[in-house]
Amino acid sequence: MLRDLVFASLLVIIILALTYLTYSGGLGDLPPRDVRVIASNYLNLTYNQGITWLWAASPEAVTAIVWDYRGLDTLFETVVFYGAILAALTLFRSVSKVPEFVSSAGLSLVVKRVTAIVTLAILAVAASTALHGHLTPGGGFQGGAIASVAPLLLLVVFGKQFFIERRISYSKLLTIRNASLALLGFTSVALLILGFLTGFQAYIFQNQAKTVSTLSYPPYLLDVPLGGSLFFFNLFEFLAVASGFTLVFTILLSRDETLRKELEGEELGY
Amino acid sequence: MMDYVDLVFLIMGISALSSVLFTFLTVKTKDLMYAVVFSSVQSVAYALIYFLLLAPDIVLVYVAVSVGIYPLIVILLVKKVGRYEVVT
Repeated sequence: MLRDLVFASLLVIIILALTYLTYSGGLGDLPPRDVRVIASNYLNLTYNQGITWLWAASPEAVTAIVWDYRGLDTLFETVVFYGAILAALTLFRSVSKVPEFVSSAGLSLVVKRVTAIVTLAILAVAASTALHGHLTPGGGFQGGAIASVAPLLLLVVFGKQFFIERRISYSKLLTIRNASLALLGFTSVALLILGFLTGFQAYIFQNQAKTVSTLSYPPYLLDVPLGGSLFFFNLFEFLAVASGFTLVFTILLSRDETLRKELEGEELGY
Repeated sequence: MMDYVDLVFLIMGISALSSVLFTFLTVKTKDLMYAVVFSSVQSVAYALIYFLLLAPDIVLVYVAVSVGIYPLIVILLVKKVGRYEVVT
């Protein structure tokens, strides 16, 4: 009882202190009255058709910063994320090789029908989030995270048998993930390779033509802004994230005995 | 007279306070399934704050992770360790 009282009063004190600090101007003017210089530079340049040697050809400044102006940072972030997934897959590597015989029939017919409709909606939202990432808020990672909820629902509601019958196998998902990662890497150096072959100057993570290098991804598709490499980065990130998450879910939803067998002998150090 | 900026900050304050309440409930409850639900509600409050702070990019990924993926992983964990927290 005393513990609860101390816990609750600590919470109240922290809230009051933070409120006092914020209210008395600890964070400056809220909301801020001006835009910082660096922010206004990005906002002015990202879709400025008068200064095409500094633009990203994308009306969405966040995606332009994430995949063009600060593209290398995002690449390393992506590497960390795939390292984590790779570690999970390596830890349970033999789970994927054991063919599982599951007799689960899933949940009732009503739940199945509703889930089927919802799954379609989820996939549509995910695709539009990822493929319009250079036009509206969103992007590859967001779209991939939304899309991975769909196979998760299917696994729970229809049972794992549903996936096995439709031949959505571990190795296929792994192939999609690896291929999209390789293509993501290729997109970042494609113009550099093209520059080597044609004798033009180009650099890593080049999107639009600059003053020193004239090579460029197409800024428009028909009459819609394409954002050059941003579209391809979003597309491949979307595929890689969705298949990576799905892989981890299929492993996590395996039978208890299979998972436990994999971790046997851990306490002895091997 | 209250203009819309004050209203936005008021809603942000209310959802921030309710997130503290749900965090408290998450820590206190002995039924771990309820703890997962409380924790998700807290995440929804955070998603609303992100939206009001004009960060729709974060909201899109935050909602999918905090309401879809995170509860699933924790529920799988709860399935393995048992639903009720035992006080010793």
